[in-house]
Amino acid sequence: MKTRRVAVRALTFTSLSITLVFAAFPVYWMINTMLATDSELYQSGQSFWAHLERFGTIPFLLNDVPIFKWLTNSSIIAFGSTFLSLLLALLGAYALSRFRFHGKGLAGFLLFSTQMLPEAFLVVPLFALFGSLGLLNGLLGLVIANTTFTMPVALFIMKSAIDKIPYEIEESARIDGCPRYGQLSMIVLPLILPSVAAAAVISFFDGWNEFLFANTFISDSEIWPASVGLASFIGQYSTPLGSVMTAAFLFTLPAVIFFLIVQRQIVSGLTAGAVKG
Amino acid sequence: MPVLVEDEKDVVHNSKSSPRKNRLKSHSRGFSRWAGYLFIAPAIIYLAIFLLVPFARGIQLSFTDSVLVNPSGGSFVGIENYANLVTSARFWNSLGATLTYTATTVFFSMFVGTTTAILVNRKFRGRTIVRAILTFPYAMPSVAVTLVFIWIYNQSGGILNRTTGALGLGEVGWLTDPSFGMFSVVATTVWKVFPFVMLVMLAALQSVPEELFEAARVDGADSLSTFRSIVLPHLMPTIRVVALLMTIWSIRRFEIIFLLTGGGPVEKTNTLVINIYQRAFSEQQLGAAAAIAVLGLILSLAVTVVFFLAERRENVKEGTS
Repeated sequence: MKTRRVAVRALTFTSLSITLVFAAFPVYWMINTMLATDSELYQSGQSFWAHLERFGTIPFLLNDVPIFKWLTNSSIIAFGSTFLSLLLALLGAYALSRFRFHGKGLAGFLLFSTQMLPEAFLVVPLFALFGSLGLLNGLLGLVIANTTFTMPVALFIMKSAIDKIPYEIEESARIDGCPRYGQLSMIVLPLILPSVAAAAVISFFDGWNEFLFANTFISDSEIWPASVGLASFIGQYSTPLGSVMTAAFLFTLPAVIFFLIVQRQIVSGLTAGAVKG
Repeated sequence: MPVLVEDEKDVVHNSKSSPRKNRLKSHSRGFSRWAGYLFIAPAIIYLAIFLLVPFARGIQLSFTDSVLVNPSGGSFVGIENYANLVTSARFWNSLGATLTYTATTVFFSMFVGTTTAILVNRKFRGRTIVRAILTFPYAMPSVAVTLVFIWIYNQSGGILNRTTGALGLGEVGWLTDPSFGMFSVVATTVWKVFPFVMLVMLAALQSVPEELFEAARVDGADSLSTFRSIVLPHLMPTIRVVALLMTIWSIRRFEIIFLLTGGGPVEKTNTLVINIYQRAFSEQQLGAAAAIAVLGLILSLAVTVVFFLAERRENVKEGTS
């Protein structure tokens, strides 16, 4: 029995270590490449250990790349589509959870269908539609296109959270004369905040990662999001690799920090629900 | 042991029937129908304009010979685009690439994600930091992922070839050799998406009631049989849903493939989505691109329908047993 337990522990430890290396190595390699010297990268070969002492050179690496302008564009797309998605989704989730009406199933199907539809399918007709609406080559068009795909996800997350709230609380408010939008904003919304946070993270990530629409709709490099800007370096050798990796690192950093912070909130939200239930 | 499983089923049944009860209750409380429409309207109107209209336009385009420079100028050609597709080897290759990519990506990300979730569900020192590192790939934007992997896969200075070279295995064109292109794309994708599977599975594992584990311990069950008879049945519904999501997302995935290989080497990774993009924006044939998109959509619809049928059968089985 005891040897068996030791064997299980050894096996656990080994497989976990392999997965950890698998997960962490490319990230480490990004940082390593960012800090490597040009002569290492192009001639002698990159050393396995990162030159951490070269962190001070990062500001110089960024002279080659307008990354801060691109990051600003990415944040406008991410915040814009998150705000729009949450607003539309909250109202829709409340409707699907608390009301009965004809065509409810159809509405649910329409929302779900966005998950099966490849974005690449909509690129072509959206290109035509946005052209006639004057939305091509602007960030607003990207906010709109992204919201189409993130809003339904946000809506389903919030709907399942509202489903779990007992209706009695709203009913007592209704008897006290609280209007419907007040019940939603003052009773339902505070109770589903962890789910709103989860929906917000997912929407924000989609907006931050947005590539396909931006790559086809935006021709002016001034309003590229960071994803399209960074992709423009692929197969292009005039910008030093260290600069490209530094820009990629800066693009990754906010996403990872944001994810790690909010992930804890989501987890605690989930466990709080489990204790109560 | 069987008693435990029965108990668990009861819990599942209760949780399933309660929303139905709620719905009936809310109905009897006389909700006004119009308020419902008012709240759902913004979302539906939004989707009608930016999803349904372009969707209909896409279907209409697939029956025309429209070109990129003049999307509205094409003339109606009937099913010609579809007829050309089903007779072209390129389309079938693309369909095959989609299926290979989807099957391998889903299998390996489910496998790595689920086993990792089980491993980090145990209590050990430094568990928080280990979990944080493991979720890192999922948080990293796809474009940054591809930039790093292109450098890792690089034929001359890339760390992968330097390692295989040092080990005497020889060097490989990971992204340019037709026998390795698909492997490299799948490996990158699995790296990026397995944490999603892990996080969802972890949440499902933590919802396994502690009493079940205690009861199993009292009964003297070892860890393997505990896993088989308690944990796995509890995870199955989650595994099915995550597998469906991963499948649909794999059929849809664009950036990683487009930026790593652009559909190459020799069209080995030319999935339907990449094919649509190339037809529309490189070859400028909007009509043909739209036709591929319609067929791709039918594929993901078919997957979803099969999933829901299997799910219903599973539920019926559980109900009668």
